[in-house]
Amino acid sequence: MTIVEAASAPEAPASVRAGVFRHVLGQPQAIVGLAVVSVFALVALLEPVLISGDPKEKVAAVFQAPSSAHLLGTDGGGADMLKLLAAGAQISLLVGFAAAVVSALIGGSFGLLAGFFGGKTDIVLMRITDYVLVIPDVPLMVVAAALFGRSITNIILIIGIIYWTTTARLIRAQVKSVRERVYVRRARALGAGNWRLIGKHVLPQVAPLLIANTVLLVAYAIFAEMFITFLGLGDPSLISWGRLIENAFTDDAVLNNAWWAIVPPGVCVMLVVLGSTLLGQAMEDTLNPRLRVGHLSVRRFRIRPVPRTEP
Amino acid sequence: MTRRALWPAVLIALLLLAAGCGGGSSNKAGQTGGNVVQGGILRLGTTNYIDTLNPFAYIETQAANAFNMIFPQLVQYDYADGKYKIAGDLAKSWETSSDGKTWTFHLNSGGQWSDGQPITASDAAWTINTTVKFQNGPTAVLAGSVAHVTKAEAPDPTTLVIHYDSPVGNVLAALEQGWVLPQHAWEQYATGNGKGLKTYRPEEHLPMVTGGAYTLKKYEKKGTTVFIKDPHFYGPKSNVDAVALTYYTNADAMIADLKQNQLDWVDQVPFSAVNVVKKDPNLVVQTVPGFETTNITWNSNPRKPKNRELLNPQVKKALSECVDRDKIIDVVFSGYASKVENIVGDIAIDANKDLGPLEHNCADGNAILDSLGYKKGPDGIRVVPATTGQYAQPAHKMQYDIIIPTSLDFNGDREFDIVQQGFQEAGVKVTEKVGGDSSAAYALETDDNCDASKSIGYSHYDIAMWDWVGYVDPDFQLSVVTKDQWCSWSDTGWDNPEYDKLYDEQGTTVDPEKRKQIVYEMQKMVYDNFLYTQLVEEQLIDAHRKGWDGFNTALNAYSKTYYTQPHKVG
Amino acid sequence: MRGIDFVVKRVLFAIATVFVAITLNFVLFRAIPGDAIQALRCQHCTVQFKNALRKELGLDKSKWTQYRLYVQGLAHGDMGKSLRSQNPVTHELWPAIKNTIPMVALGYVFSIILGTITGVIAAWRRGTIVDRGSVGTALAFYSMPPQWLGLMIVLFLASAVGLPTSGIKDPSLGILGEPSLWTVVIDRLRHMVLPSLSIGLVLYGEYTLVVRSAMLETLGEDYVLTARAKGLSSWATVWKHAFRNALLPIVTLVAISLGFIIGGFITIEYVFSYPGIGLAIVEAIDQRDYPILQGAFLLLALAVIFFNLVADLLYFKLDPRVTT
Repeated sequence: MTIVEAASAPEAPASVRAGVFRHVLGQPQAIVGLAVVSVFALVALLEPVLISGDPKEKVAAVFQAPSSAHLLGTDGGGADMLKLLAAGAQISLLVGFAAAVVSALIGGSFGLLAGFFGGKTDIVLMRITDYVLVIPDVPLMVVAAALFGRSITNIILIIGIIYWTTTARLIRAQVKSVRERVYVRRARALGAGNWRLIGKHVLPQVAPLLIANTVLLVAYAIFAEMFITFLGLGDPSLISWGRLIENAFTDDAVLNNAWWAIVPPGVCVMLVVLGSTLLGQAMEDTLNPRLRVGHLSVRRFRIRPVPRTEP
Repeated sequence: MTRRALWPAVLIALLLLAAGCGGGSSNKAGQTGGNVVQGGILRLGTTNYIDTLNPFAYIETQAANAFNMIFPQLVQYDYADGKYKIAGDLAKSWETSSDGKTWTFHLNSGGQWSDGQPITASDAAWTINTTVKFQNGPTAVLAGSVAHVTKAEAPDPTTLVIHYDSPVGNVLAALEQGWVLPQHAWEQYATGNGKGLKTYRPEEHLPMVTGGAYTLKKYEKKGTTVFIKDPHFYGPKSNVDAVALTYYTNADAMIADLKQNQLDWVDQVPFSAVNVVKKDPNLVVQTVPGFETTNITWNSNPRKPKNRELLNPQVKKALSECVDRDKIIDVVFSGYASKVENIVGDIAIDANKDLGPLEHNCADGNAILDSLGYKKGPDGIRVVPATTGQYAQPAHKMQYDIIIPTSLDFNGDREFDIVQQGFQEAGVKVTEKVGGDSSAAYALETDDNCDASKSIGYSHYDIAMWDWVGYVDPDFQLSVVTKDQWCSWSDTGWDNPEYDKLYDEQGTTVDPEKRKQIVYEMQKMVYDNFLYTQLVEEQLIDAHRKGWDGFNTALNAYSKTYYTQPHKVG
Repeated sequence: MRGIDFVVKRVLFAIATVFVAITLNFVLFRAIPGDAIQALRCQHCTVQFKNALRKELGLDKSKWTQYRLYVQGLAHGDMGKSLRSQNPVTHELWPAIKNTIPMVALGYVFSIILGTITGVIAAWRRGTIVDRGSVGTALAFYSMPPQWLGLMIVLFLASAVGLPTSGIKDPSLGILGEPSLWTVVIDRLRHMVLPSLSIGLVLYGEYTLVVRSAMLETLGEDYVLTARAKGLSSWATVWKHAFRNALLPIVTLVAISLGFIIGGFITIEYVFSYPGIGLAIVEAIDQRDYPILQGAFLLLALAVIFFNLVADLLYFKLDPRVTT
């Protein structure tokens, strides 16, 4: 597989890294992204406080247009759309973040081990990564959800287990470059063991990039949840934004001209995806400018970083 | 929509015994003014598809409708003054012997198959005898139509004699489920073990030989199937030149096409769309009550190992009292449904209307559960104390899964939500378990290793929510809770020899009044034991464009006239 | 010689991936609790019937034998039988494939053209309102869930432009008499427009961003500066030098993003009731028709592997300096 090798990360000891984040936040797109994601995260966290009672409770006639009593109208079951959206934020973001963390754990470990140990370990791990990278992920996810899915834990695991490959490649490249740095080599010469080297020197160096990558993954995971749920494979007892769109579809919201039941959940997804993409990209760009082109191209459904020739 | 009760062997006859008062909209065929204009194409939209044109191999309801159009039936239904009654189709008249074991049918003459051969009594006799011969194998789909038949004979081309092994109470209703096939075209498949009868796919070898009010011009399983008026039909001929039936996966798109004049008629309007259709000045909506009944199905297998408290009718009654059925009617059915108590549906012959009604009274429900000693825990969920004896079970919380199939023609998730809220008030926690289509959901209920002879099965599930299609004759609906239907149609796993005995008795009771007594008693047993908590009876809603008339919603799946009578208005 | 080496390596990798896909497919569908037959339900689906069917499908044999039989069957184009209709899977999926390909291709071409144009313009007018506008729009479309975008088109666009939102054929077409080929083609195109447009819009945003950044990179390089110094007009510079060099990442991306299309079209076909592979998958899920699901998944995997190979080879052709 043709891919970015040895991306040259800045030789940054820990004290400089704080500057990295300051630099990230110096970019307007990162601030916008962070703001959007934070607002939704806040809504999700405060949902139990903001919303009293069951959000699915019928409060008015079905498909009632927005009014002062119900600012976004009601859905096909007569429930308040605004409450449903808040409840949906909770589940969608939960799935998004949890699946992204699973991905980051798997991808991070693969990348770390492959990059640090090199040799056979590298070949085997990257070969696995390459195979998984080429299998179409959305159909695989749908099949896996159809066979094992329906509970929220299963869905999180399925998404996480499928979306780790680009992370693995990214981290591997970073680790390879860190491994060769002077202070790492010095530590090794002084007799530090492998795990100590990883824990003390390599991991802190790749962690910011891993975090940036995880932020990007949140967007893909939220997308993935929407796919699964829209195909009727979601957890039936939970309300997510994907579920709201599915409900609108099955309740003939289009026919009833109930735009308020269809438009808002999509807009929410769009904003969160946009927000975390902007933030994640700004972070990655700052941390690793050589990857910029590659990662502009990422809707990580099946994209790998754009190949380069070796200098 | 693959509704379970519309599977082939049981298409005993959709009973839409509508009272004229139902639904509030006009429902009388051809009486709204304007002259009958012959000809034209009737464009019909549906969300049910014709899976095959072989009556021995079909599953979907729409296939049965297609057979009504292209094959003769001995008898069919008519609907007038709010009542269904048997009417002739190929048979003009019939009589039964004094012992009730021999039936003689006098057939219409002059009909011919689409290849020019005459339609005769020997075709009918051959179809019946062949169905009987292979009824435990390839022709099992139509076995119900020939139950208890020993032999059919054709002494002359217009006389058919059918012999039964015992007097049967519902001969005509049973025969209505079958079709007469052209012997000369089909007998080549009835050789050996008869397997060819089931594997033959006439749709792959068009033109096929037909003999009904229409011939078949074109068949597309998931597209448009075209039926052409047959000028040689023995009965009242079609008003339109052709019926084009188009299958839609998405009801939303179908209604949009109806509004935009891409369709003339839609045979089933989804509940979520009915209010939109009603508002359109170019569309006419017709309804008939009693299309389907929806229920909470309780696993009533007496050998059920877990959660045995749910075998107690008192517990089931308590929970049912907490379900707000008015809310279900309002939210799920847009008001197009009514409450029902008996298992057969209010529209069936001999429906026992003295049962219940079960009121929405959750305070009483809670009182019952309290009196049983099922105390609420700190989380609000009741706990069933430990029991001893053969089926001992430890103390456990009252929390269960409810299986919801995906193939319902209403929003099952929303119905579940309402039931869940009700149960919650009673201190019982339920979770939705998606059941998949009918087949998959059934498998969840009966277990994979279900074996009636060893009484194995029905050991995992607790509760389901489903529906049954209504029938004119109560026989089928009463059969589904017998032990004979274990691993087959039974979804309750009930096993009650006393009930089964009554079921056999009603089947051979020819005197209508006597049969009614038995049928009433059986319905009461089902009701008192809470095998089902009957929720509501849905209406069937169809819609057509102005400029058309002659639609008789009640005859959907019952009669050729459902298709032959509609016409343009001049 | 390195060139041939590279090609051989990529082809071998693709073949290996095919086996990985087949194996994954086999393992996934055998890992479910019980087997597909257990979920089967019909009037005669007794224990005996199910056992007979298991035997017919070889499910009574060892897993290894089953795997061997599965691969052997695939080699002969045999993907098994639909549990629902009992027809061969290939027989059931073939019409769906024929419907999907033109519709997806149309959307794909649309997205490439639109994405390239907006990307080039944005790069050319870097830093202006045009740039910000096109990047903003691209990002917005890029962030939309495909099924939702499809519903938006049905809700706000369909009736305005008078195009059908469902199916693949006008129900009244050819009821009596055969319609002319021309009528059939036009009718088919009309039904393809909206789903294709949805796919196109979902994809184009990504292309805009990639084309723009690839262009910006080359625009900054020495030879472009030289070209400018030589007095070439700014548009000529963009077109002649920068775009040709930016083509490389674009070509790769275009070939590779097929994987994403496959994700998007499943739900878009569902929204538009367009009878292709996506709709077949949705139906198979509902009916628990595992052989169909398995077959569809394998076909999609093969398509993606194939296009990845094409991307690699194309890339190599355009830039032989490529390393593995």
